[in-house]
Amino acid sequence: MLMEKKEEKLFAEDNVYISSKTTAEEVIQEISDKLLADGLVKPAFYENVIGREKDFPTGIDLNVVNESLPNIAIPHTEGEFVNVRRVIPVHLEHPVTFKNMIDPSASMEVKFLFMILNNDPEGQSNILAQIMNFCTTTNANDLGAFFKSTDKKAIYEFLNRSFKDQKA
Amino acid sequence: MIKILAACGAGVNSSHQIKDALEKEMSNRGYNVKCDAVMVKDINEDMINRYDIFTPIAKTDLGFTPSIPVIDAGPILYRISAMAAPVYDKVEETIKEKGLK
Repeated sequence: MLMEKKEEKLFAEDNVYISSKTTAEEVIQEISDKLLADGLVKPAFYENVIGREKDFPTGIDLNVVNESLPNIAIPHTEGEFVNVRRVIPVHLEHPVTFKNMIDPSASMEVKFLFMILNNDPEGQSNILAQIMNFCTTTNANDLGAFFKSTDKKAIYEFLNRSFKDQKA
Repeated sequence: MIKILAACGAGVNSSHQIKDALEKEMSNRGYNVKCDAVMVKDINEDMINRYDIFTPIAKTDLGFTPSIPVIDAGPILYRISAMAAPVYDKVEETIKEKGLK
């Protein structure tokens, strides 16, 4: 019998966060602690994400997509430090400074994180490509409202719906 | 076959997106391209010498000067044609200039 491989969901309602921290280190520490408690990452996750962020920053300027959109960042590290394949959405109550991924000499204020946990980079469709498709093809008004939302359930449902539609 | 080396910090997200995009677009343009995605920290002179073009996400200090053409591929990550096209054009231009096959 032909078995269809079940693709795990990229988002989990319990792993949507709102952070009031004001620096990248504080936010990543706060979320890393929660992910570690949930068994989603390994103990060395935080130090590796922070170390990587300094050498290879992950801020993405969405101004070039639409001037009304806030910037995002996609903190992540190698697969050996995570236990799952998942995206962790984090709404930032205050702007947090990150360096630009494609121009590390430039800083930017970021208002939303998609922390990528990826223990299977070869396996399925590219997570970053899906995030960028979401940011560049979602209706700008809907996306603007999404980035402002502090309702974790609404954030989860919007992402789940949008990423599902993307694959259809 | 034309061999391209893509690289990013973790070797799991950005570089794989660059790899997928370059292989697809260069194939569409009629070139036989194979792209590998690696972590920047794993690159040394021996490794890079086995490739024809190096496509990092951003300007990258490898600790040595690469002997092959370097093309910053970061704009591809946006998945917006207008941003990606200049990168693809530069890769194609380099393939033609160097007579790569």
